[in-house]
Amino acid sequence: MSGLSTVGKSVLRIDAHDKVTGAAVYADDLQFGPGLYYGRLVRSPHAHALIIKVDASRALALPGVKAVVTGRDTPTRIGLYLKDRTIFALDRARMVGDPVAGVVATSEEIAEEAARLVEVKYEELPAVFDPVVAIQPDAPLIHPDLGEYEVVPFIFPQPGTNISEHFKLRRGDVEAAWPRCAAIIEGTFRLPPIQHVPIEPHVAVALWELSGQVSLWTCSQSPFAQRDLIAQSLGIPHGNLRVIAPYVGGGFGGKAGVSMEAAAVAMARAVKGHPVKLRMTREEEFICTTARQSLVANIMIGCDDQANLLAMEVAYYFGGGSSNEYGVNIARAAGYSCTGPYLVPNVKGDSYCVYTNTPIGSAMRGFGMPEIHWGIEQIMDQLAEKVAMDPAEFRRRNCVKTGRTILTGMEMPAIDLVACIDKVTQAIQWEKRPPASAPHKKRGKGLAIMWKAPAMPPNPGSSAMVRFNEDATVNVEIGAQDLGQGAFTVLAQIAAETLGVPYEWVRISVPVDTKYSPYEWQTVASRITWSVGNAVRAAAGDARQKILAVVAEHWHEDPADLDIRDGAVVSFKSEREQPLQNMVVYGLPNDDFEGWKGGPVVGSGKFMPTYVTNLDFETGQGTRAVVHYTVGAQAVDLEVDTETGQVEVLKIASAYDVGKAINPDLVLTQIEGGAVHGLSSAYEAIRLDAQGRPLNANLVDYRIATIADIPREIHGDIVETPLEDGPWGARGVGEHVMVQTAPAIANALYDALGVRFSELPLSAEKIFMALHGS
Amino acid sequence: MSVHPIAVTINGKAEYLEVPAHMTLLQMLRDRLALTGTKNGCEAGECGACTVLLDGQPVNSCLVLAVEVDGRQVVTVEGLAQDGTLSGLQQAFIEHNAVQCGFCTPGMLISSQALLARNPSPDEDAIKEALLGNLCRCTGYGRIIQAIQDVARGGGAS
Amino acid sequence: MLARPGLPQFEYVRATTSVGVHDLLSTANARLLMGGTDLFTQMRDGVWRPRVVVDVKHIPGMQDITMDPGGLTVGAAVTMNQLARHPAVQRLYPALAQAASSVGSFQLRNRATLGGNLCNASPCADTAPAVAALEAILVLSGPAGQRETPFYDFVLGPGRTVVGTDEFLIGIRFPAQPAGSAGCYLKLGRSRMGDLSVVGVAVVAFRDLAARSGYRFRLALGSVAPVALRVPAAESLLAAEPPHETNLAAAADLAMHAAVPISDVRATAIYQTLMVRTLTLRALESAWAQLQGAGR
Repeated sequence: MSGLSTVGKSVLRIDAHDKVTGAAVYADDLQFGPGLYYGRLVRSPHAHALIIKVDASRALALPGVKAVVTGRDTPTRIGLYLKDRTIFALDRARMVGDPVAGVVATSEEIAEEAARLVEVKYEELPAVFDPVVAIQPDAPLIHPDLGEYEVVPFIFPQPGTNISEHFKLRRGDVEAAWPRCAAIIEGTFRLPPIQHVPIEPHVAVALWELSGQVSLWTCSQSPFAQRDLIAQSLGIPHGNLRVIAPYVGGGFGGKAGVSMEAAAVAMARAVKGHPVKLRMTREEEFICTTARQSLVANIMIGCDDQANLLAMEVAYYFGGGSSNEYGVNIARAAGYSCTGPYLVPNVKGDSYCVYTNTPIGSAMRGFGMPEIHWGIEQIMDQLAEKVAMDPAEFRRRNCVKTGRTILTGMEMPAIDLVACIDKVTQAIQWEKRPPASAPHKKRGKGLAIMWKAPAMPPNPGSSAMVRFNEDATVNVEIGAQDLGQGAFTVLAQIAAETLGVPYEWVRISVPVDTKYSPYEWQTVASRITWSVGNAVRAAAGDARQKILAVVAEHWHEDPADLDIRDGAVVSFKSEREQPLQNMVVYGLPNDDFEGWKGGPVVGSGKFMPTYVTNLDFETGQGTRAVVHYTVGAQAVDLEVDTETGQVEVLKIASAYDVGKAINPDLVLTQIEGGAVHGLSSAYEAIRLDAQGRPLNANLVDYRIATIADIPREIHGDIVETPLEDGPWGARGVGEHVMVQTAPAIANALYDALGVRFSELPLSAEKIFMALHGS
Repeated sequence: MSVHPIAVTINGKAEYLEVPAHMTLLQMLRDRLALTGTKNGCEAGECGACTVLLDGQPVNSCLVLAVEVDGRQVVTVEGLAQDGTLSGLQQAFIEHNAVQCGFCTPGMLISSQALLARNPSPDEDAIKEALLGNLCRCTGYGRIIQAIQDVARGGGAS
Repeated sequence: MLARPGLPQFEYVRATTSVGVHDLLSTANARLLMGGTDLFTQMRDGVWRPRVVVDVKHIPGMQDITMDPGGLTVGAAVTMNQLARHPAVQRLYPALAQAASSVGSFQLRNRATLGGNLCNASPCADTAPAVAALEAILVLSGPAGQRETPFYDFVLGPGRTVVGTDEFLIGIRFPAQPAGSAGCYLKLGRSRMGDLSVVGVAVVAFRDLAARSGYRFRLALGSVAPVALRVPAAESLLAAEPPHETNLAAAADLAMHAAVPISDVRATAIYQTLMVRTLTLRALESAWAQLQGAGR
């Protein structure tokens, strides 16, 4: 800790004052004046259908309607990793809610009425909702043109099937290892699609000016990726498309990549000169933006009689929804991390992303990891039981450790997962099993561990600029977004620490605006503290060097003898002091004012990982599959009402190895919020009827955790094993905090009830029925 | 469609407006008065992001017609700070890191304010009952409970 | 298919007397507005598209709770929070107070009304079982004056009541409860609080020398039939012999057998059926404990 003045301190959030006063501006809060038009989308009522004809004549006749846009206006495909969809459905609707047309009118009310007047003639096709059914040879083909789609080099679609990605992991020889196993557990685990449910639904406002300049204001985790993808799809020069992203009211991956924003831009093109606002109702947010993919996981794991893991064979079938443009990389990430946080010498893994006629599966907090850990972490408990070892000890023995070779052939970067296990077992009093509070209740404890790597292309870049003002306050320009996770605060701390100025002097230049903000790939993958942190540190370091050079010259000293402390340059040698005020803009006068030196100080910096290597298509082996992993553990203490099946979680204890907590209390707020998000996720499911129509696209029947559902106690611990290339050793933790909560609950339920649950959600009904048979 | 003149006091200030019959209080606040601190999260009375005080009582402003508030008092998040000084709850939310994305925060503050007005020292169950209708996806609620308890204990800005 | 943003257009009429309201209701494709908590979502869902919305909560008496020797009268537009926090209702009609306080969230209960909850006639209306167990009388206003109907005749099925096209509910009368009455409303939702009920059970119990057991229990179930369901067989059983472990369980079994739920997105019929037994037993035990406590 020595020498750090801001990093490692729990300074207060830089954005909190705006947010408690209502001053914080979100996309829907922006004011555009009376010229603003509104859009509404016409959506397919069918899960799979050919679009025979779109007749907008009645809609266009309605007073106030300005334009109707259809798939014919947006024929160029769009997508992050696989360009597999058009902004409006062109010839085929692939899910209930697929946008078929967009209506622009002078009010949202008129646009809504007009949207109901657009007549679409469909020819229904057979639909498929389950990924395992969708891979059968006779399944309806959802993307017959898959072979023509543009795709990044590390994703492998299988044209002629519904498989958009197949990742293969082959290590050792599983067939030879099975006979050597003393215990083998096999299971099939299922997870339904769930939704992010940010409290802020998606909203976008687009303006296509007559000059060809295009602006998009939207709640976005990915302003630069949106600029890139929309520019490509609609033929806009990147320099002409400006994406402005004010505060985001919760993202969780749902506002990453592109979803409805592109439609707003396409609709704005039809009414040049007028901004067009498109906002999702809560009902649309549930099924028409994006969701977490469903998963069917077949998992078999074996260990020897000393509890050493020997072999693992998995097949993951992700139900990717109607478009897998982002979801393909979830299946890939699940593939190269398919063992979970364990050292397994023999592995056969197959991970598939599969088209289904369901809401679009895309990035969600955890990016494939909550899905695969659901099964893995339950099987590890079963194996431990079979070889009569404490589940915590079983995990300590087999979990990934620094320097050991993991499934892809990569050497595990520095982490301490055992310390995380130790922390949570201590916090939950793992050795003690107190009785339940009533005769009709049963109590149990469960443990689960996790890992997750940032899942992204090998070379996602970050950049930052640092500019000084006359009074030595500092503007830090970044393209990263604060979704609530505290990125702006942490980046301000990093700038302050590097520059040697008080935290209070730092301003983050927001809203992020692709016209003025430096490039950022996306605010995803828990990569901001690490990647943007490095870029800000580099930019601040650059500014610092420039300041020191000027002052050193002024004092005729060596810059190496100078430092910036608390906003002033100091010399260790001469003990002189030069406040930063004014000199960071005006420079310093030479002796006797014979000229000047220095000038406005601007620092720039960037960070991009350069060391991630290709993985072999047949084996998934390579030198460096990912940049790093963050690991953690959770333990749960719960009580079940055996007469109703209702579960009360008494305590969740979590510990994560974050490398270095730049702001420890903000790390804890992620840990606490993530535990509740993870708890909630165990009870959530998007439900569709047999025709693929939503049954619970509202907050009444899709319930997220309320304040009454939280555990009585939420405990968090921070482990700090520095990451080689993280700022002060920091690595990300935003997503990891909910990855293993559901299996930890399942393991605690088994401890309490002696019953296993292989399928989410864990409704009270399901638990009651499992307890009492049929 | 009918249009109605209304007189309403919002955050202590008299406002005179003409509102269409089907305009909700939420739409009036956001679209007519640019009081955008009150958020639209579901339009169904389920998320609580649009909670405001109506004659001192918390209501979902998406479930109230603008015409219904004629002659009444409305307080929004913009009315909680007095002369630039944050309320005890606002200060406590900052100090307890009870804010993440901030989208639920205005509604949370309004519901909390109403709770403390009717029950100055609520226990945890009373807080849960009062904030049940305010959904938050970020914080896990624990810090919000702590912030309210801090204010109730007279801490507030401690 | 999906709910619309905002409300559809309509005209708003604020009624301060019932005069004229009946005409509007019968001629103008009108809907009543009290709390709006159901009406607004139903209008967004396209269930209703009225030309006129008549705000009747300002008609005198609609928001009043009055007690007299004959019992309790609740104006149709009395909110759930008014009801739940009214000391006399809490003391004398605890099942009603508990049912009212179990509805939605605090801010929702500041708008949701007892009359709206009953007239909406949802099978899962939380107050319906309590109103049924308390044998309330509903007072309707029509062009020819007022008429009264017992609650057990009021709801015809999901969304359907006996209210005529030119009538509206103005109040709910609860008969005076014998001294020392007990009662409770227990509700099972998918989450701890605030959900719609998967099963709701209301019990009202009091000493009654006319009953062989010396006690009268009234039991009503919610969410497990098209309408709130009284369980006469269980009530008779407990009127015949004083409650003890075995016949309380038998009464709960009778309630379970009376339930005719349907499976939906919230729960399967079999789970609802089984939960009727659990909740009924707990509700009866609670009421019995209250009676014994009051007797000492």
